[in-house]
Amino acid sequence: MEAVMTGLFVGLIFGFVLQRGRFCMNSAFRDAILLKDNVLLKTVFAALLVELVGFAIMDGAGAIAINPKPLWWGANLLGSFIFGVGMVLAGGCASGVTYRFGEGMVGAMTAVLGLAVFGFFTAGGFLKPFKDSLQTGTTITAADGSALTLHGLLGLDYTLVALILFAIALVVWFLIGRKEEFEADPGWGWLNTGILIGFIGIISFPLSASAGRNYPLGITAGWINILQVIFKGAAFNWLGLMIIGVVVGGLIAALISKEFKFRVPKPLMLLQTFIGGALMGFGAVTSGGCNIGHLLSGIPQLSLGSILAGLSIVLGAWAASYVIFVLPQKKG
Amino acid sequence: MSEAKPDKTLDVCGKICPYPDMNTMTTLKKMEKGEVLEVLLDYPLSVERIPRNLKKQGHKLITSEQLDGPNHRMLIEAHGLK
Repeated sequence: MEAVMTGLFVGLIFGFVLQRGRFCMNSAFRDAILLKDNVLLKTVFAALLVELVGFAIMDGAGAIAINPKPLWWGANLLGSFIFGVGMVLAGGCASGVTYRFGEGMVGAMTAVLGLAVFGFFTAGGFLKPFKDSLQTGTTITAADGSALTLHGLLGLDYTLVALILFAIALVVWFLIGRKEEFEADPGWGWLNTGILIGFIGIISFPLSASAGRNYPLGITAGWINILQVIFKGAAFNWLGLMIIGVVVGGLIAALISKEFKFRVPKPLMLLQTFIGGALMGFGAVTSGGCNIGHLLSGIPQLSLGSILAGLSIVLGAWAASYVIFVLPQKKG
Repeated sequence: MSEAKPDKTLDVCGKICPYPDMNTMTTLKKMEKGEVLEVLLDYPLSVERIPRNLKKQGHKLITSEQLDGPNHRMLIEAHGLK
């Protein structure tokens, strides 16, 4: 079996878990302020912690070599903020709209179309010059030219710093996080979903690396690959196959749980999700990653660029949620 | 089973995240205490999230039943604090 085929396998599991676990970062960030509901936010933290310890051990043991993304502060701030605004308009983050494609949600399909097309144009089309100049104009690297990381700043070993952070997080968890209880947990239970997603992130790293792409999960670049396959006769890469797996995995999960249905919102809503998707595609490629590439995969590698991008995604999502959902209620 | 008769029906089928939740909450806010809202929805995340958030707002979930596939019908009693 070719190494790229493992992408399909990882994607199938990822899509299945996303659908059953109701995992969505857009909802996670938005609900925390809009509905004061932070169940999904805790799922995100659980996944990040599992990855942190998994990557730390694998890197320490030599099974992987972490590959943190560079810090382009301007591109990270602007691109990810736009991404955050886009995901609120689209009604889902990059991974959210991808698995909901498989659930039969037509609004998610138009969002994916916007994401893929504008990601494609930003990566190699008319928006590329803007992205390139913003990235190169705001790059800050370490003294040796490598990507800036938390452990690099401290001058310490990645595995050591990652394990210390993991230990601190566990202590914080036991002191404050455990007390909260939930009467109705989404999907499989937030902790199970978080741990499962963390493990998928862990297995994705060496599998993707053996196919020549030394990075764990991502979404946007996979959709761009699919467009390149369709329009430019390119070959499927690991991430492109993983995306197909996520859609099919989401479809299988939705069919099993009898949640599959073609759901068509009003035309205006379709336009809104397309625009949201387009902002996500532009933002993700400009910043060098989406909520999965930066937040889920980059933060556990302690990349400063990914940490900045993650914060900016959250700020963008909050700003857009406030303008779209909170302000109209205050007026009316 | 005797069932409360809805005073109002809200159909949020096909709507994306978080409109089913937001529309339900805003409609409930405008209703009098004791009035019953019927919500028709087909978005799995909201089917689980709405009951979780109703309590915080003081509204009471009477029933949430699966119709076919992802389609659900909820009956909610408004607590009427405008």
